[in-house]
Amino acid sequence: MAAEDPRPGAVASVAPPGPAPALAALSPSPVDSSPPPASYLDPWWRKNDDLVRRMKVTQDSGLLLRQQLSAQDALRGFRELLHILQALPAAVSALPLELTVTCNFITLKANQTQGFTEDQGQDIQLGLERVLEAQEQQGPRLKCGIRELWKTVLQATSLLPELLPALHHLAGLQAALWLSTGCLEDLSLLLQMLNGSQNVASEDLLLLLKSWSPPSKELDAPLTLQDACGLRDVLLTASALRQGLQELITENFPRALSSLQEAASGFCSRAVLAQVYTALGSCLRKMGNPQRALLYLVEALQVASVWGPPLLEASRLYRELGDTTAELESLELLAKGLSVAQSSKTPQVLIEVELLLPPPDPASPLYCGTQSHAKHLLASRCLQTGRAEDAAEHYLDMLALLLDGPEPKFSPPAGPPGSCVPELFLETAAALIQANRAQDALTVCEELLRRTSFLLPKMPWMWDDTRNGAKELMNYPLWVSAVYFLQGQAWVKLGASKEAVSDFSRCLELLFRAPPENKDEGIASNCESRCRPDVAVQHLRLAALVSRGLEWVTSGQDTKALQDFLFSVQMCPGHRDASIHLLQTLQRLGRSHEATALWWRLEAQRKLPPEAATGSLPLYLETCLSWIRPPNQESLLEEIRTSLQEPSDLELPGFP
Amino acid sequence: MAVPERWVDYLAALGCPTGGLAAGRPRVLTQGTEVLVAPGNELVYALDTRDLQPRVFGLPEPVRHLELLAPGRTLFVLCAGSGIYCVALDTPHRSASQAEDVGGQGDSDVKMGQHPSQCRNQAEEGHSEVDEDPCETQEGHVESGGSPSEVVSVGPDACILPDPSLCAFTLLGDLLVTVSQGPGTWKVRLFKHLCPGPGTEPGAQVGEVVVPAEPPRAPNFLPVLSCVSPPCSRDPHSCLPGPGGSTLQEALFGLLFGADAALVESPVVLCGFPDGQLCSVVLKTLVTSQTAPGDPKALVKVLHHLEEPIIFIGALRTEPQAQEGGDTPADCLVALGHHGRTLAITAGRDETETLVPEMQVYRLPGPVLCATCNRGSLVYYSTPSRLHVVNLAPGDSAHPGLPPLLCQNSLRVCKIVALSSPRDPEDSTKLLALSAGGRLMTCHVALDPARMTARQATSKIQNLLSNISSVSERVLSLKKAVEQQNQALTHLHEALDVSCALLSCQSSPKPIMCTTRPSWRAQGLHQELVATCRLENQGPCSLGPGWSWCIQVLPSSYDGATTYTVPIQQLAPGACCEVTLTLCSGEEEEGGIPDLPVTVSHMLFYSLQEVVGVLLAPVGTEEDTLGVVWPQDLLPPQDGACLPLGLHTVDLLQALRFPSLATPCLPPTNPIDTFLANYQEQGSRPGGQAALQAPYLPPSTVSIRVSSELLRAALGDMGTGGSLCCATLQWLLTEHSPVDVGKSGAPSSVQAVAPDGTSIRLTAQEASRAPSPDLAQRAVPRPGLCVWPMLAGAILAVSFLSPPTGASTPMSFVTPLMHPPSAAPTPSLALPTTSLELRVAWSRRQHPLVSAGSLGSPCPTCCPRGPEVSVEVEKPGTPLSLRAEMGVRLTGPGPWACTVMMVALAGVGDRPGLREPHPSCGDPGGEPLPRHRVPGPPCHDHPHPDSHHGAGDAGRQPAQPASTMPTPDPGQPRGPALGGPGLAGQAIVGELS
Repeated sequence: MAAEDPRPGAVASVAPPGPAPALAALSPSPVDSSPPPASYLDPWWRKNDDLVRRMKVTQDSGLLLRQQLSAQDALRGFRELLHILQALPAAVSALPLELTVTCNFITLKANQTQGFTEDQGQDIQLGLERVLEAQEQQGPRLKCGIRELWKTVLQATSLLPELLPALHHLAGLQAALWLSTGCLEDLSLLLQMLNGSQNVASEDLLLLLKSWSPPSKELDAPLTLQDACGLRDVLLTASALRQGLQELITENFPRALSSLQEAASGFCSRAVLAQVYTALGSCLRKMGNPQRALLYLVEALQVASVWGPPLLEASRLYRELGDTTAELESLELLAKGLSVAQSSKTPQVLIEVELLLPPPDPASPLYCGTQSHAKHLLASRCLQTGRAEDAAEHYLDMLALLLDGPEPKFSPPAGPPGSCVPELFLETAAALIQANRAQDALTVCEELLRRTSFLLPKMPWMWDDTRNGAKELMNYPLWVSAVYFLQGQAWVKLGASKEAVSDFSRCLELLFRAPPENKDEGIASNCESRCRPDVAVQHLRLAALVSRGLEWVTSGQDTKALQDFLFSVQMCPGHRDASIHLLQTLQRLGRSHEATALWWRLEAQRKLPPEAATGSLPLYLETCLSWIRPPNQESLLEEIRTSLQEPSDLELPGFP
Repeated sequence: MAVPERWVDYLAALGCPTGGLAAGRPRVLTQGTEVLVAPGNELVYALDTRDLQPRVFGLPEPVRHLELLAPGRTLFVLCAGSGIYCVALDTPHRSASQAEDVGGQGDSDVKMGQHPSQCRNQAEEGHSEVDEDPCETQEGHVESGGSPSEVVSVGPDACILPDPSLCAFTLLGDLLVTVSQGPGTWKVRLFKHLCPGPGTEPGAQVGEVVVPAEPPRAPNFLPVLSCVSPPCSRDPHSCLPGPGGSTLQEALFGLLFGADAALVESPVVLCGFPDGQLCSVVLKTLVTSQTAPGDPKALVKVLHHLEEPIIFIGALRTEPQAQEGGDTPADCLVALGHHGRTLAITAGRDETETLVPEMQVYRLPGPVLCATCNRGSLVYYSTPSRLHVVNLAPGDSAHPGLPPLLCQNSLRVCKIVALSSPRDPEDSTKLLALSAGGRLMTCHVALDPARMTARQATSKIQNLLSNISSVSERVLSLKKAVEQQNQALTHLHEALDVSCALLSCQSSPKPIMCTTRPSWRAQGLHQELVATCRLENQGPCSLGPGWSWCIQVLPSSYDGATTYTVPIQQLAPGACCEVTLTLCSGEEEEGGIPDLPVTVSHMLFYSLQEVVGVLLAPVGTEEDTLGVVWPQDLLPPQDGACLPLGLHTVDLLQALRFPSLATPCLPPTNPIDTFLANYQEQGSRPGGQAALQAPYLPPSTVSIRVSSELLRAALGDMGTGGSLCCATLQWLLTEHSPVDVGKSGAPSSVQAVAPDGTSIRLTAQEASRAPSPDLAQRAVPRPGLCVWPMLAGAILAVSFLSPPTGASTPMSFVTPLMHPPSAAPTPSLALPTTSLELRVAWSRRQHPLVSAGSLGSPCPTCCPRGPEVSVEVEKPGTPLSLRAEMGVRLTGPGPWACTVMMVALAGVGDRPGLREPHPSCGDPGGEPLPRHRVPGPPCHDHPHPDSHHGAGDAGRQPAQPASTMPTPDPGQPRGPALGGPGLAGQAIVGELS
């Protein structure tokens, strides 16, 4: 069969439309609704149609596994067919079938691999080269890229109307490829070429896509999995959504809104619609329209069973609105929703919008973490909003989630690589202490120590020790000392002052092995989300010193307490809590001169603008620092002020 | 290191692994007593070491990987280009027996498998020849009695994960980790809740991460996966790794995979890719989804880049095991590359006592086909030649950590393509191996626990030393043998070059040429005819030892040829060598009259014995250096290659002597003869032999008439100067020195003496003009062929091209065809067959262009009336005979020069009878016959085109004319062609005078 000479087809191409050479020449009426007359292409034609029909039938059957298998078979079939057709000399009469098979193959392949790769680009290029080969224009194609190839092909085939439907379909796939890989300039150039010279000036992708009207297929054309018009609609929605999300990230909200509304009005599946609504909600929230945003989010939740992003967005919205209960509720719902295992996706035979969108990055409103992320978010929000009991429960849930079974439960947050599980442990311990569950906190701390203590350097550790693998090692001393600090706090809660002091001392001993002056190492400069380790170390030292000082105070050893407080103030001269503790102790020891001087310094500091934040501290450290806050500092300050009032008029008249 | 003692038990002979010694395709898996083997084709064998009855599963595609999920005894099989299939190990057994026999499982077992005792026997036999791998079975067959019907075929229903790009997987509890290959990427995916069975949904994908791949250096290799877990504190049994995994010491684990993995106590999947990357993925962090895609930077850590395909990843314990025998975790991670690069990682402490990973890269001799390690510090790996073991335990207590160098011990088992070590601690000295021949065997390897005593050590060292010396001796002899081989190969190569050069060029000048120059030389009292042969090497190759130059002298009358062999020691390009031979045949030594024409043929002989024989000769008492036993008759002593270089016919013309010259020719052999001769001459004039014969045999004259224009054209420069006749004679006698001829006085006639003393006169004279010059001008320009209508007195026009190296202008000549005036105007002139054939013979062999079979020129005796012309066309040195006949075609070789010779030989006193008779006429050659003889029966069978003596053919044929009519000389070097048929047939002879 393959030995048959395809040349008659080439001859027939001179005659106007009519797929079959011999009969087209004989019959005076070329347009005929009867099945295509016999031609040497028929067997392959039928095979293509069979494959397409079979794919469409199995698509409707229920069994997922069977669908996957049949999709594999069909893909193999299309590949074989394509190999056969491409082995023939290129002829215009055979090209519609060949290009259609190419399109079907690319469509199915993109669905199986869940995205477009270089392979599909090469398949498209091969198809274009075959078109040129059929017209014997092989000269310039060797050196030009795919863009020039398209230009040549479209110019060359303007006189061959029978090739146009298949070529437009192929162009649609090329557009999908470029959209998914982000080659938007190429894409708009291609669309301009496809549209002819009407909209040359327009650079707007959406306009170009809208004005592109692929020529309609003839009735007797080979079957396709997805026709060019359907592909155009998908492209339109995908590019609108993509553009909207882009604008949203660059904070160009009005344009984002219009693009997203365009996407919402387009053709898409329910899941994609839910995504569009979520993005719309996010956009409106940022534009200051919480009520409309809420409406969209509700809509998104109703449209499809994709709960993650809308719920996360809703929690953000409630947080902005200050409705903590609603926020936590939505986070709880989110955690529950994510715990349901997602079933695998049904293999599609069509190019869908999801296929053309890049995976969401953390800044996107469509990004929502895993169940562990949701749990952590919920727990930390509880801790931050002062619901310590709930926070402790959620943290314990989360730890159980992480530690049970070999199944993956936790995924590291996007960002610079580094460990974060230790901080989860620390936060848990802090939450437990906060919730007065000191014994549980001690258990958590012991567990953390047991699992990481072997990593602790035995010698004094250096900040600049950034050799291979040592970067992460730097954090271990910080974590271990934080564990000791938390243990100390737990002992404080349990009233065991001796153990508490010893733990604080071990914490301090560990912390003071690090020379804090090497601040400009630049290690942490690239991660804004986390604070620099040296800042954290400084604050932890302060907290440990103050806590030990407070323990000394409790046991009545005021001199020792004073020493610790003095240290802490020296280390963080501007730290208000430490200063007030020092002030209190000075007063208690009757060293009023020093107390007054300190008071003046505090007063002066209060008038200054607040210091620029050095980056947010880890949550566990924030919690720790909240414990050393003196409960009645305002009354204390007031008391000093009043005690100073009388002498101040006399002694310090010139003081500002 | 102590050498492990070993022995091998053959378990079963299975199908031959496909792909031979390709690395990483066949798999062996053992779990308890269950052994699973995938030889690399579509089959999977499951057998129990206790009864050794394999059950065979046939899968749709070649099997790439196997894993056994212990709880349900479920086998997971990865098929190439298809996906993962799930086979319940128990059910197919039943179904197979059902298919065969309803009677019960036991019966079918007996039928299916090889009987254990049988197998044992085989194993016993195999003990001594482990290296040979004696039992090579056909591919895809269970040799041990399994017939294809017992193969349980696994259908597509069993596919639980269809994905053609899958190339590796591993199991971890109910988690499935897969690696599939995309364009430029490796995709690691994680599935959970795999429940095998028909019609189930594929497991839910939990996570996925894409690792960028480097350009594939070895596309045939597959990724290898291995699971490692930290030691589990709370419940040691809950988090044991799967069958392919191991537990890693917590310090090393935390160091390699980070605090997160250590804290959540997550299993880690190590991926060794064919591009050399060794990556780790912490499983518990690999939860990704559509809305939360994983970041490869956070999820994948590249531990090392081995720069070669990774074959094996394993965990070892380099420190000795604790006493209680508990399952202590491994403290060293090992990765083996295909070319032998080995990476070992342990946790060490630096000078500040900080925990640092200690990495050591070793080089082992590769290529590594497969490897395994047991619970100790040993790594077993197989190369095509041997199974090796290396020990990674620290050398001594003074230097903890990894040994700086690895030395491998060979286990003398070869061609192992898959290895597996049982996980049971008591089985740690056993290895399960699959050989390339499809034999499954157990290798027992155990380290000798006893310490060596000093005496043992001494003797061992002595042994080693003597081994070293014997090895070095062997190396020397091998080196020598290799040198000899190289030399022989060089010689053979040169010989091939020479042969090709000689055999390939037909027309162009040969790179090695032989010339023969006859001359007379005084030998004692008489003169003898000698030939001076000269061998010139004008080619680029030199002739070295092994070559010899063979000169065969074949007198026309004598059957036995004399062959002279001249060994050529060295003949550099441009050099030449020369020998002088006598042309007189051995019997006539005294007479000294050579039997003309004498054919001198030259050959080059290349003796294989001389070149290769050195290598094949037994080397005395030593064992053969190459360790190969050569068959006795491998090379017959006389074997070699013979290359014909050409042949030269020394004929009468060349042997002529000129009495007019100063040298007296042929002095009488003894005074009595001289006296007698003088007496006869004086006594009766014409006296002597000639005078006696004179009344009966008048002097014969043979003449050939040739167009003078043609002659002029043919003679070229020679003919332009003086008279044409003189030039013709000069040309005829070119081989004599011009002085000889020039001094002969008569320009148109030369008197000469034949070797036997008869006198011969060569006369050239202008006879008449060619009939129609216009015909001559119609010479066809196309070389070689033309056909002319033949009429009486017509002219045959032939145009020939000169050879490329000769004169560049084409030479044309016209041969007049004449009928004897005496002949009646025969009807044969009007015969329908009017064409002409030119038959060309190149010396001894027929030129390929001569059309064979159509050359039936009638024997002149048989067809006396046939108008036939026999002319000799000759390029000096390459005689051609041209035979023209009414009604035949002209054929001829391509570019050749052609001249027409006109010669008249007049001889008195013949010695007839030396010719051999015409075979079909049956003329006795020995007696003179009447001149005009009735023609004999026709004979059509000669000249035979296949005769290897082409010129001789033409020469032998005229033998008959010699008998019908005494020709001047028995020799007639070119007489056969010239005088023979022409004279006998009386058709061409223009004049008889």
